[in-house]
Amino acid sequence: MFGDINDAKWSFLATFLLVVAGAAFLGWAQQPRELRTDPPLVADLDRFRLMSNSIGGSPPESYFAEGKPYESDAYNLSQGQRLYTWFGCQSCHGDGRGNVGPSFLDGWWLYGPEMVSIVASIRDGRPHGMPAFRDRMTIEQIWQLAGYVQTIGAYSTKVAATGRRDDRHTRPAENRAPAKILFNEGPVGAHPDQGPSP
Amino acid sequence: MTIREDGQNLRDTGLGEIELDHRLSATWSTPSGLWGALSSVDHKIIGRRYIVTAFVFLALGGLLAMAMRLQLSQPEARFIGPDRYNQIFTMHGTNMMFLFAVPVMEAMAVYLVPLMVGTRNIAFPRLNAFSYWMYLAGGLLLWIAFAVDTGPDIGWFAYVPLSGPQYAAGKRADIWAQMITFTEVSALAVAVEIVVTVFKQRAPGMSLDRIPLFVWSMLVTSFLIILAMPAIMIASSTLILDRLVGTHFFNPAEGGDVLLWQHLFWFFGHPEVYIIFLPAVGMVSTIVATFTRRPVFGYLAMVMALVATGVLAFGLWVHHMFVAGLPRLGESFFTASSMAIAIPAGLQIFCWLATMWAGRPVFRTPFLFVIGFMVIFVIGGMTGVMVASVPFDTQVHDTYFVVAHFHYVLVGGAVFPLLGAIYYWFPKITGRMMSETLGRWVFGLIFTGFNLTFFPMHILGLQGMPRRIYTYQPEMPWSGLNMFVSLSAVILAAGFLLFFIDAIRSSATGATAPANPWGASTLEWATSSPPPPYNFARLPVVGSLEPLSNNPETLPVASGLSVDRRELIVSSVVEALPEARESSPDNSIWPLWSALATTVLLIWSIFTPWAVVWGSIPVSIALIGWFWPKGTPEDDA
Repeated sequence: MFGDINDAKWSFLATFLLVVAGAAFLGWAQQPRELRTDPPLVADLDRFRLMSNSIGGSPPESYFAEGKPYESDAYNLSQGQRLYTWFGCQSCHGDGRGNVGPSFLDGWWLYGPEMVSIVASIRDGRPHGMPAFRDRMTIEQIWQLAGYVQTIGAYSTKVAATGRRDDRHTRPAENRAPAKILFNEGPVGAHPDQGPSP
Repeated sequence: MTIREDGQNLRDTGLGEIELDHRLSATWSTPSGLWGALSSVDHKIIGRRYIVTAFVFLALGGLLAMAMRLQLSQPEARFIGPDRYNQIFTMHGTNMMFLFAVPVMEAMAVYLVPLMVGTRNIAFPRLNAFSYWMYLAGGLLLWIAFAVDTGPDIGWFAYVPLSGPQYAAGKRADIWAQMITFTEVSALAVAVEIVVTVFKQRAPGMSLDRIPLFVWSMLVTSFLIILAMPAIMIASSTLILDRLVGTHFFNPAEGGDVLLWQHLFWFFGHPEVYIIFLPAVGMVSTIVATFTRRPVFGYLAMVMALVATGVLAFGLWVHHMFVAGLPRLGESFFTASSMAIAIPAGLQIFCWLATMWAGRPVFRTPFLFVIGFMVIFVIGGMTGVMVASVPFDTQVHDTYFVVAHFHYVLVGGAVFPLLGAIYYWFPKITGRMMSETLGRWVFGLIFTGFNLTFFPMHILGLQGMPRRIYTYQPEMPWSGLNMFVSLSAVILAAGFLLFFIDAIRSSATGATAPANPWGASTLEWATSSPPPPYNFARLPVVGSLEPLSNNPETLPVASGLSVDRRELIVSSVVEALPEARESSPDNSIWPLWSALATTVLLIWSIFTPWAVVWGSIPVSIALIGWFWPKGTPEDDA
């Protein structure tokens, strides 16, 4: 069975091994999917720094070291999509177009589109009705949800996207082209009345 | 029957042995070198590649199994994380079912069926080459994806919604679904070749009641493949469409149906079990007949049991879905039909027992594997009857009881006969014998290791250990048995390691095998070991079920075939009366180009649907090249 195969088996085998070795290297270099993130890394997620006006700031260093997983990883974005439903975000923000709370889709971010701002909004709450979720979700879930919320109204294309939900579709999908093409004139001209200022 | 000395359309009628061999070799052999290897259409070369590739996948799948056993050997082990474990158990199942079990059975048929029916090449030999390249590409796709951490993590049956767009983020499920497409294409191609070879290329005189049982089993298997594979083709295609294009086949909110997936999958998935098992039935029948020195008891009953199993196989699929919440009437019907399949299986077991009882058994290694098969398969069949009843199945569904059951059925029912078949046909394939001493050790280790590994899993399942868990808590009463199972798996792995060592060593330095080392009675032993490129110098004429047993020295042969072009006899379906001299296609590189173009299309289509449009251009070019009239009799006939 293995023997005297007179048809250049060693070149096949060498090619096969090279391909597999190359693939294994790529896999080793790639960002792994974490279903049980290391507790120190999770704890570090709480240590982002906000500007004094609570708009913008800097994430913890470990977040960059990990390759910004909560913005660039389809798995984390999909977890965020699920959390959006589980934690009742829809009751105020609707399907992303806003209801009592502001819309995520209209290209206008009251506190800016940075991850830390969105994380702070979810964790600590904001004036005019946004509750704090720090006692209801883990900080990792908050980052996942923030990544998803940021994706709904993203200004620039992301390589990673959530999958389509098995649900009725009432608005443009998250994995469409970025939000800004929906608002060619820019966010200010399209929506003069943006609600209460921060 | 004229002989023209100018070499045009020279017939074999009056040629001497040496002259005949010389001319047939020139016509049929595969050129040496890489180009020759890539363009070969010889069923023996392709079959051998298929077998070796499938055994490589077996070894890789076995390594994954050992990794899982390492992780499960103690509670809360930290060897493998949950995400990697999900990929590993999915890869193990997918690899074993789609890249090992089905292809290796087809591979044995690709090698053996043309020899057993006494013809010179399989029907549609270029399609055969194409099917191998497709299979190899599918296997590489799956394993390279796994190596880059994009291996599927959705279980080998990929239930929606877990595998659908909402829950399976990234490309992992797409890799799984597209890999299915590769194996579907290759399996269907081989199935069609086998059916045509068996129906139209049998040696003159080999009427339907003189076909060897292995050939019968492969014929039934091929029909099962042709009827079952379209279901999974629809399933995997619609899954990809849901994930990639935005259709809603499996989205209940938009009018789709989640259960549709389970029905489509298991309408393929249950016959799949018999696609794996029926070739093993043929192998066991062949080995039993040879090593008891008598024909199998109840040939007609065996053939009927094969056909009955093939028909019943399509009426069982719902027993995989007993906990999905189906109507009671449906559950009762499928309970009854699941138990009914035990009747043909039992008939086969009793026919083999009767053969052994009436014969003079010679306990060589292939026969030992058959004995092991009977013990293990009967135990697996018993637990099969148990899980066929709804109340019992409801209790053990998705526990290790089911894991134990299907490993008993699949390893016992297919891998044991397959290993026996490798020991049995190894001399025919390589021209060398495998070691009898090592063979007994291999059997002993695998048989002991298998039972010690998988029998305790029944108990674990009854104790409530679920399938597909990557770890368990120390409070659970499972840790002792799990450690025992993991240690036993080492014995099993040692047996397989010894088997691979034996196979590799024997292929290089084993004792040289004569044409018919076992004194067997089927046609593949009528030619030298390994067979020449043209299989038989003169095509045999068959007058009984066991052409070699009555008078092995003189086998009647047909003459009048051309030696200047590849030619074989086409015979009638029932009586195998010779009908025509048919040309058989020559070597060609185009199957490889076609497979490469198809591979580009299929993998590209994971990323954009436009690949189906643009990727079809190279596929069309390759197919046009393949079928372009060459102006030679071989291609125009």
